[in-house]
Amino acid sequence: MPILETRNLTHIFPNGAAAIQDINFSVAAGEFVVLAGANGSGKTVLIRHLNGLLKPTKGHVFIEGAPIGKDIVQARKKIGLIFQDANSQIVGQTVAEDVAFGPENLNLSPAEVKRIVQEALENVGLSRYADQDPHLLSGGQQRKLAIAGILAMQPKIILFDEPFTGLDYPGVLQVLGEIMRLHKTGHTIILVTHELEKVLAHADRLVIIHEGRLVEDGLPAEVFPRAEQYGVRIPLGKIEGVESMTWLK
Amino acid sequence: MAEMTFFHYFPRDSLIHRMDARLKLLCMILLSVAATLAGTVTEFAFLTFVLGGAICLARLPVVALLKDMRLFALLILLLVAANAFFVPGRPLPYLSIPGVSQEGLVMGLRFAWRLLLILMVCMVMTGATSLLTFKNVVEWYLRPVPLVPAARVATMMNLTFVLFPVIFDTYAEMRAAQKARCIETRKNIIKRVMFTVAPLLSQTLRKADEIAYAMEARCYTEERTRAVFRTKAQDWVLTAVCLVICLAVALR
Repeated sequence: MPILETRNLTHIFPNGAAAIQDINFSVAAGEFVVLAGANGSGKTVLIRHLNGLLKPTKGHVFIEGAPIGKDIVQARKKIGLIFQDANSQIVGQTVAEDVAFGPENLNLSPAEVKRIVQEALENVGLSRYADQDPHLLSGGQQRKLAIAGILAMQPKIILFDEPFTGLDYPGVLQVLGEIMRLHKTGHTIILVTHELEKVLAHADRLVIIHEGRLVEDGLPAEVFPRAEQYGVRIPLGKIEGVESMTWLK
Repeated sequence: MAEMTFFHYFPRDSLIHRMDARLKLLCMILLSVAATLAGTVTEFAFLTFVLGGAICLARLPVVALLKDMRLFALLILLLVAANAFFVPGRPLPYLSIPGVSQEGLVMGLRFAWRLLLILMVCMVMTGATSLLTFKNVVEWYLRPVPLVPAARVATMMNLTFVLFPVIFDTYAEMRAAQKARCIETRKNIIKRVMFTVAPLLSQTLRKADEIAYAMEARCYTEERTRAVFRTKAQDWVLTAVCLVICLAVALR
């Protein structure tokens, strides 16, 4: 049974424009899926459905076989979403307070919240910044904080919406390293990006969305040569296969 | 915003930081009342000493805070000048400035000192209490009040403070981008304001929307983990001291 599945998922905006149409795809536990597409193709709308933030006009999302709307809190606990703009995800005045936001929403005991926050911060290497103002962190650190905030909810699946946007080289390395560590610890990863050269080497599957429709879904090596016709750039210069498409050394 | 120290929280391990935030807020209210009721130089000086002591005890960065106080200097000067010129009374004894009265100047200085004391109270409270703790205290005090959604009010207060730096940063960036395209050459002040207000409002609403989504994604609910407060003997002693100060000023 797939851990996550969508059936005929469709979202029509109030002005009649279709953001996504009849999306059918499933993800197995522990898989690493890269979801690519040009700007405005519907990637963000799709992943916001996976977390139950948007309600579909038609179709369904299932998590471990159960419809997502059945218990939305449990669904959101299982599926963590890391937003494109990490800054807008910050709701705490200090790093630790921000990480505590999720566990406190789950009404855990203060002692448990404290333990989970410490663990999450240790996991992403931000323990020493616990009392710092999150807005003073670097771009890479803010993404790590967003990851810690989601890890504190102990999700099985983590959705990353354009995690490399606006990051410098060290920032990309920090975040990519963190994503890989999460994947190794058994998390299912769905990563939205159009910067395939940074991460594709690590993916099990490449899915491409074009004008709201799922147009490609397969092994990265098979799909990526066709990516450019859907507005997803293939890296310039010498490409030594999908294996070379990573910024990690 | 990041460079400003005023009204910022400074994580430290001090007596004031460790104090039960419910009693801390009560103490600050008592000292604010005392500052409002103070009338003599002795009372003002004593309260300044007490609050100065509290700032030092909380190990707040005094020099940086004094520098930021310059922001209020103009307001304080205006307050003194307005009183000096508009309150009728006798002319100054040694230095005669046309229109300035002795009573007005004294009243202005009294207002200014009072304002400074209240600013010092705010410094101690915000410098030694994280916003989350402050939010929890507000929620705790509001909880018994009927028909008031305490958790919602506290969250709204928290989000307002979260959004402030974001709005300031957006404004600064927007102004810089407009200056780069020579906005100063526009003579119509209303148009210039509109060029800033409309996009700032739209961006702020969009950011607020993003924050709401982010909160929802992390299971936001009003039935959240409740803060646990612990009161120590020294907290009661400090509260008693503040109460005595307030009563002494009020009943003189």
